[in-house]
Amino acid sequence: MLQAVNEALHLEMARDNRVVVLGQDVARNGGVFRATEGLFEKFGEDRVVDTPLSEGVIVGAAVGLAMSGLVPVAEIQFLGFSYQAMHQVAGQVARLRYRSQGRFEPAITIRSPFGGGVRTPELHSDSLEGQLANIPGLKVVMPATASDAKGLLSASIRDPDPVLFLEPLRGYRGIKGDVPDNEHLVPLGEARMARQGDDLVVIAWSYLVEVACRVSDALADEGLSVAVLDLRCLVPLDLAAIAAAVDHCGRVVVVEEASQTGGFAGEVVATIVEECFWSLEAPVVRVSGLDVPYPVGMVEDVFVPDEARITAAVRRTLETA
Amino acid sequence: MAHRFLLPDIGEGLEEAEVVEWLVAVGDLVTRDQPLVEVLTDKASSELPSPVAGTVLRLGAAEGERIQVGEVLIEIDDGSDGSQDAPRPAKTPDTTEAHTTEAPAGSQLAAVPLRGRVKASPATRRLALEVGVDLTTLRGSGPGGRISTDDVRAAATPGELTATEPLKSVSRPPISPIHAELGQMKAGRHDLRGIRGVVARNMAQSWSQIPHIHTMDEVDASLLVDFRNRIRSMDRQGADTVTHLVVAAVAAARALRRFPMVNGHVEGDPADTIVIPDSVNLGIAVATQRGLMVPVVRDADGLDLFAMAQAITEAADRARADDLAATDLSGATFTITNYGSLGGRFATPIIPPGQGAILGLGSVAERPVAVGGAVVARPTLPVVLGADHRLIDGDLAEAFRQAVVDDLIEPLHLLVGD
Amino acid sequence: MAQPSDDQLQAILGDMVGARVQAQRLWNLQRQGQVGTLAPIDGHEAAIAATAHALNPEQDWILPQYREPLALQRFGSEVLYRYLLYNIGHPAGSHLPPTVRVAPLQISLATQIPHAVGLAWGMTLQNQPGVVTVFFGDGSSSEGDFYEAGNLAGLLGVPVIFLCINNQWAISTPLHLQTAAETIAAKAAAFGMPGLTVDGNDAAAVYDAVDEARSRALAGQGPTLIEAVLYRLGAHTTADDPTRYVPAEELEAARRNDPIDRLRAHLVEQDLWDEETHADIEAEALARFDEAFDEARATPIAPDAVVDHCTTVDSQRLARQRSLLLGPEEAES
Repeated sequence: MLQAVNEALHLEMARDNRVVVLGQDVARNGGVFRATEGLFEKFGEDRVVDTPLSEGVIVGAAVGLAMSGLVPVAEIQFLGFSYQAMHQVAGQVARLRYRSQGRFEPAITIRSPFGGGVRTPELHSDSLEGQLANIPGLKVVMPATASDAKGLLSASIRDPDPVLFLEPLRGYRGIKGDVPDNEHLVPLGEARMARQGDDLVVIAWSYLVEVACRVSDALADEGLSVAVLDLRCLVPLDLAAIAAAVDHCGRVVVVEEASQTGGFAGEVVATIVEECFWSLEAPVVRVSGLDVPYPVGMVEDVFVPDEARITAAVRRTLETA
Repeated sequence: MAHRFLLPDIGEGLEEAEVVEWLVAVGDLVTRDQPLVEVLTDKASSELPSPVAGTVLRLGAAEGERIQVGEVLIEIDDGSDGSQDAPRPAKTPDTTEAHTTEAPAGSQLAAVPLRGRVKASPATRRLALEVGVDLTTLRGSGPGGRISTDDVRAAATPGELTATEPLKSVSRPPISPIHAELGQMKAGRHDLRGIRGVVARNMAQSWSQIPHIHTMDEVDASLLVDFRNRIRSMDRQGADTVTHLVVAAVAAARALRRFPMVNGHVEGDPADTIVIPDSVNLGIAVATQRGLMVPVVRDADGLDLFAMAQAITEAADRARADDLAATDLSGATFTITNYGSLGGRFATPIIPPGQGAILGLGSVAERPVAVGGAVVARPTLPVVLGADHRLIDGDLAEAFRQAVVDDLIEPLHLLVGD
Repeated sequence: MAQPSDDQLQAILGDMVGARVQAQRLWNLQRQGQVGTLAPIDGHEAAIAATAHALNPEQDWILPQYREPLALQRFGSEVLYRYLLYNIGHPAGSHLPPTVRVAPLQISLATQIPHAVGLAWGMTLQNQPGVVTVFFGDGSSSEGDFYEAGNLAGLLGVPVIFLCINNQWAISTPLHLQTAAETIAAKAAAFGMPGLTVDGNDAAAVYDAVDEARSRALAGQGPTLIEAVLYRLGAHTTADDPTRYVPAEELEAARRNDPIDRLRAHLVEQDLWDEETHADIEAEALARFDEAFDEARATPIAPDAVVDHCTTVDSQRLARQRSLLLGPEEAES
């Protein structure tokens, strides 16, 4: 997936010279994960900028760059540190168009990795998409495959509205797949069926889609038909895809890495109740992170939903009369 | 006339203020922005300037008194035709969430009581609605007495009752506002006017002038339900709008041609004339947000099943959309009320003024029926005919009702000529 | 060092006088319940108007905080109308037309300072000439955004004028409880840019300082921090009662230093101003105000305006919410 992100950045910067990349360590170092590798050498120090260590002004300056008509792609090194910039994200980026009633076009993309399973120090793995989704004016995009990472990032950069593009740390090296050469665009707001199925649908996003697919494949050996719906975007949410999948299967498990209370899975469940209540054969189950701050390495695996927990939830839901 | 300066909220959530000192007196001539009064709030003491120029007519409170935000602080004669200064809050739209799922088509069947302690999943409930099974009559085989879809299918008599098309996702319109506002009225006295007033007058008139008789029966609706389901599965536009109400309307129109007196009415107070109209115009009672409306389907005896279905559906839609002209609501010679769609079984409907009879349909539901010496569960449909005894005696009422019921019991009669 | 010309000083005083009477009318409207909470401009007129006159509205940008608009009208006649729309709570209040290089008001303090840096940066990258002037108060200079933005601006060398209006008070917090630094201008050293204090009540001095900072910036010599020292003569906002914490003698002394009186006295002495001119300007300013206020109040709000411009295209949810606003008959699933 990492290469896919890098390819998208190269393509978009070549295509539109209004695109400016900024963040900590993104230029000469090519990014601490090498996501921005090669951009500095190709596009120069004017367009690929190593900023000081200030999440607030990285985002705040991006607002100003957008006001001047450029297309900034800012990197927040780890999503947990976006808290240092939240007043600019929620109070400014998200509101620029609304406040100015369309005078300013905040074509801002903020890329940030998150997610567990890689034994990071505190605040490096936090999954904050639920909080971000509740900020009107922001789009929240979370690719689950390498191909989607490229297509969704290109689409995000070209989108006239601000986008939070969240990349799973585990997926950088852990998610591999075929990626189309050249320009590849995946429209924002369209979910994807990662696995077809009839008995139950697991709704997931980001790295957990991969995990859910493994669960589905294993259960297929037992003759159980488990679909997997990859939301791809939390905002805008593909309501029709959720309704179609749930109407078809009647049983649902929603999985997320974030802590359960207030997490985005709750929004998905509310949507299901609104859209597909009469199709439900069993209560909707959420498999989420625990309601504790993201924990230290030795107990991390208990926090993040894994194949075992997802499988257990799927079985329970299938067995409900 | 007077300009009333109402105490504004000058302090971000102020509710009241105390008048500390009046800087003007009644009779004084004041200019715009001239300080009028000093008021004290919990935050600060403030001078309030005059919004208009004119003569002070009245002070709204005495020094030392507290006054609420929105109350009159001072009245000034500014020579205008009266105005208020408090900014009107923008009209808040009704943002109560209107998008909720509605029970699917087929809810004209028995309204399953979802209150009480029936345990069943949403999918089971929908199936029960569609096949007309009353969940409260079932014992569930699932954990904790939960009713499963198998339980529902077992309860449905095989061969005579079939579920409608397989579940598929359809776009769901919002629940009609009827449900939210039914029976809601604030405590106190209200003028009896509008549609409520019209209905009240009509009902009172009918009740006092027409001696009503009612004859009722509950008929086996097995063939009717089957007939309706089979029409529904036809690949034809409008097939899903052919309800048992539509069948009853066609049957009634035929019966009215057979018994013209039932299509007539008595006029005069005291009654002195019998009027027998040329045409058969059916009033169809529709419950709307604004109250009961009865749009009219004209020359109903000339409509076949699908044409009747279309006419009734359009009339009901327009009634709910408040899109009816006065002409749409007048000229009925006979009325049909499907009170069963609200869940009732027996009723004594009131004949609208200017008519001689009314047909009422109760709810289709599974009920015990004696067949060949045994009690079985069959879908039944209660039917009541209300009639003006000045015009129609019991034998005519009975004969008319039976004519309609014959077609309901065996809808294929509709294919046979008179 | 350029001095403002006589014409310019007259124009500046005209703007200051106009701003003062318009502010008074606006205050009265608040007390009459016609507009919401607002921050009066009394005492700040010279610093703001002089700055506006030292800039070029055709290419320079101003990022205000929230107290400035009445004295920024040199940047466009729409500034007044939009400010009044803002004060009556109309959604179009922050929509300034593309020809007016004044950004929307900011309530969240200091957040506009990083925007200024980004905007100037973007202009430079696109070879657009001009400087960005960002207003903020003494209180804002304690916010993280000030330091982060100052730091980045120094590094990038962008054409920004950091214009701190130090009116001695952040609501009830006096300057000596806001910072231990000698001056706010001294903080420029931390950013690697020049910083200077100027008498904020001296219109000519402010003009000079801004003009010089602008020249530096246009010459590619980077940003400057200007601290305009003055005194807040009125309340923080209409919801504030300064008599609770402002020492009366101090306020009295500050009133004797009123920037309007000072510049007026200077121009009268030079025969460049008289009572009649003053009265005419006040009357004209109030007439323009009343007209703009009437226009603002008459500006319609569509029933679904509240959901306009959140994103370029409505999401499905928002589209549903929009149709609820348009009436249940139009609600669609």
